[in-house]
Amino acid sequence: MRHAFHFGGRGSRFVPYLLLLPGMLLYLLISLGPSLATVFYSFTDASGLIGSPTKFVGLSNYREFLFLGQNARDNAEVLVRTLEFSVLVTVIQTGLGLFVAALLNQRLAATNVFRTVFFMPVILGVTIVGLTWTLFLYPLGGPAQKVLALLGGHSEFLGGPPFQAFLWVTWVQIWANMGVTMIIFLGGLQTIPSELVEASRIDGASGWQSFRHITYPLLTPSLNTNLTLAIIGSLQAWQLLLVMKGVTNGTQVLGLIIYAIAFGRTVQNPTAVAMRQGYGAAASVVLFVLVLIIGMTAQFLMRRRERRVLG
Amino acid sequence: MKNGRFFVALVLLAALPLCLFAQGKVTLELLIHQNAPLVDYINAFNEKFQKQYPDITVDVSVVKSDELATSTQTRLTANDVDIIDMFGFAQGIQPYMKNADKPNWQTLIEAGLLMDLTGQPFLKYYDPAAIRDAGSFNGKVYEVNTGRYAFTGVFYNKDLFAKYGVKVPTTWGQLVAACDTFKKNGIAPMTAGGKDGWPVLVAGYGILLAEYPDQAALVKGLWNGTIKWNDARSLDMWKKMQVLARDMIEPGASGISFDAAPGRFASGAAAMYPAGSWDAPAIETANPKMNYGYFPMPGSDKAADNKYLAGKYDVGWIVAAKTEKKDAAMKWLAFFSKPENYQAYVNATGIMPTQPTAKLNTVLGREVAPHLANFRLGYELLWVNPKGFGQWAQPNASFFKPFNQWDDARKLADQAQADLDAGLNANR
Amino acid sequence: MSGATRARPVRPATVASFAVLVVLAAVYLGPLLTVVNVSLQTRQEFSLNPTAIVGQPQLTNFVTAWNKANFPLYLRNSILYTVAATSLYILTAVFVAFPIARRYVRGSGFLFSLFVVALFLPYALIPQFQLMLHLRLYNTPVGYTLLFLVDPIGIVILVNYIRSIPRELDEAAAMDGSGYVRFVMRVIFPLIRPALASVIVLHAIGIWNEYVTPLIYLTKKTYMPITRGLMVFYGQYGNDWTTLAAAILMLTLPIAALFLVLQRWIYAGVLQGSVRG
Repeated sequence: MRHAFHFGGRGSRFVPYLLLLPGMLLYLLISLGPSLATVFYSFTDASGLIGSPTKFVGLSNYREFLFLGQNARDNAEVLVRTLEFSVLVTVIQTGLGLFVAALLNQRLAATNVFRTVFFMPVILGVTIVGLTWTLFLYPLGGPAQKVLALLGGHSEFLGGPPFQAFLWVTWVQIWANMGVTMIIFLGGLQTIPSELVEASRIDGASGWQSFRHITYPLLTPSLNTNLTLAIIGSLQAWQLLLVMKGVTNGTQVLGLIIYAIAFGRTVQNPTAVAMRQGYGAAASVVLFVLVLIIGMTAQFLMRRRERRVLG
Repeated sequence: MKNGRFFVALVLLAALPLCLFAQGKVTLELLIHQNAPLVDYINAFNEKFQKQYPDITVDVSVVKSDELATSTQTRLTANDVDIIDMFGFAQGIQPYMKNADKPNWQTLIEAGLLMDLTGQPFLKYYDPAAIRDAGSFNGKVYEVNTGRYAFTGVFYNKDLFAKYGVKVPTTWGQLVAACDTFKKNGIAPMTAGGKDGWPVLVAGYGILLAEYPDQAALVKGLWNGTIKWNDARSLDMWKKMQVLARDMIEPGASGISFDAAPGRFASGAAAMYPAGSWDAPAIETANPKMNYGYFPMPGSDKAADNKYLAGKYDVGWIVAAKTEKKDAAMKWLAFFSKPENYQAYVNATGIMPTQPTAKLNTVLGREVAPHLANFRLGYELLWVNPKGFGQWAQPNASFFKPFNQWDDARKLADQAQADLDAGLNANR
Repeated sequence: MSGATRARPVRPATVASFAVLVVLAAVYLGPLLTVVNVSLQTRQEFSLNPTAIVGQPQLTNFVTAWNKANFPLYLRNSILYTVAATSLYILTAVFVAFPIARRYVRGSGFLFSLFVVALFLPYALIPQFQLMLHLRLYNTPVGYTLLFLVDPIGIVILVNYIRSIPRELDEAAAMDGSGYVRFVMRVIFPLIRPALASVIVLHAIGIWNEYVTPLIYLTKKTYMPITRGLMVFYGQYGNDWTTLAAAILMLTLPIAALFLVLQRWIYAGVLQGSVRG
């Protein structure tokens, strides 16, 4: 249904269409089109090299990625790790962000300084953050190693057992992005009238009780935003992993594997590995299905809670 | 409203730098991998070349070796590069291998992206066997290979050995004893560039070689099922690899990058450094007075088995088929291949030459000479993974703690074979 | 009821909160301070004891890093890409969002849904790469910028915000004889400033922080933004932590300065986006 367009004479009816076109075309060309094309690509054995003989192979890429030999287990591990990453990042980042926002909301001294310090990593970017922490975790006597030595331990940190390295990178991811979560919660907290909280305190409620029954429910919109951003974002975030760990077994998530397959970078065969973009496209579709399922479920649950809590 | 004009100004401002990127004469785009002596030599060589041919400029990009395959393929398909350093053609699919992924040089050739160099005049300077083995496919030449390195040897600090009365170990037992001596005296027995993963993998190749001197037969045997990663010989290998990773290489090595390791060895922090012979020039640069040697990793308990050295064909030049600067590229290759320039290259990088007239007259050359007759291609050059194989089916010392999660050689051996079987069985 | 008077003495809860904040701030500043310390050490000092506080700080590492890589260039590139792509995007985005929000075009609902589903679309990396190859835009600043001219989330935020602006304004302006373009630029743009701020900030931070896109598409050093430039430097000088730390610091300081200047807008932007998005 269209609404009456009042601007200009009879001839300018098409003006909004015309001006809509550049943005729309760009979106179709660069974003929507390629996203859909991924699905078609996944049914070919395209290498990605222009001039490579390509043929249609149906579902064999999917069969290979999900079911062939040990791929089933290795890729399932990657899927699980992607989920682990997402859950850890979402839960801890959101929790920490809420905690810090609640602390800062008390209008203590130097709030601005703290806020700046916590938000800085968001601005510094993935490379600076990744390299800074790599230095901090330097196993040959870096600060983290020194602290651990005081407690009598030794670790290779990022160079040790993959699960351990993975946890470290997850921590850095949380550390780096907590600032955004914190700001969003701060904004949400500031919309809650302080009279409500004060009234409850006067009525004898403890700090924790007033938080749980008044503040927290009213924070639902901010919470939902943060959760959505964190869930979807973390399912697709792997740049930090690439910077800090590179392409190594045991620390990859699905996004990273897709890149490695598509651009000829795998651990198994570092020097002569060929690009396999058809196969990579199939892995992309698998990730898409994962995001779809988790994202939609999360959205559904959040909306339901929002209705219940806020009425 | 200022917004409109502001935006237009911004856009114009953004467009400015695009004008700064205009080119004049012919620029050859060269891509090489990060290896300090190689990079230094190429930079010096390019200056000579540009003086000789003033109308050609050479622009060099350097990437880490684990990014080389990616950069090579993406830039070739985008026609963004002219000459690339690619390791000698390896991992070619043998007739008995079913359902294996093609190596990238083969897909590149099949896509028509590598230039056919057959018949080029500069090829005559090179050993035909090297050209055939490292750079040909289906009878045509696509790569000019510049040399070989050994990677199953161990650099050792002659002064430290003399100081503690340690002799060059010729058996595994002697190596273990040597490491103990050094540890008792507070010297790290070995160092390695653990950060980048592959240096510890390479460090273990000597043990693999000692266990299976015929690496081609090993590959075939694994594919046929006659050799397994968990049979007696392999288990012995895994156990030794564990000792290497856990007891011999210094703790904290996972923080040392591959190009920091030679310096660390040269500083005397460690007595030995199991690495590829390509690190020799870096050691010399870090400590010109260093008294070092290179012996084959004594992975076997019998001295007679430890006389071999395995290695790889390393840097080789390939040319983009679609380049518009073919003439300049050929000139570059010809100038590189001129014997006096090639000899300088050999001296700078310590590579074992593929030109018969060149000699490796360096410390390393002398150390390696006794074993050259027994030089063979390493496993990693021959092995091809069957599709569906699992990640642990690699003879990789860095699978063991502290670099990874395994601390039971038997369990890892069984897992490795299971992972290999998964691929072999999936494709029968 | 206890303590009816609201005294101003410091409550234990406040002290505890402040202490926790200080500890957290240490966790945030610690790694950066490590970088500062290492950047002032010599290579020997670093290999002996990386955590020792420098006795005699020296600036040679900064000189070395400066000479070995062109950091001002990388910084300039990051700024240019971010500014150019964001400005062009905003310009096109408002002209997409406005008619959709007002239903001045047919199929507005459908078009809007195309943007809403964007969060859940498959990863476009591979076909985008093929597209850039075929358009001959590989390793070009123009091509790189092109990839950032779209942001469906931004469109959704703008549409939602524009819907809150009364339609009567449109009619009034039209009756006054204002043209479509004029109206959008002169009236709508200022009115949607909060939403614009948020879209600009979110989009800009996204471009600024991109590492994979330059990794794939930009091979010429002079085109690289800081994210990629620093990693290339790390690839070549990764064994030299003291120089690397100096490089990191040289990039951190201008970014931090820029941030301090723009922080109010950045916070506002992030906030607004969250409320409407």
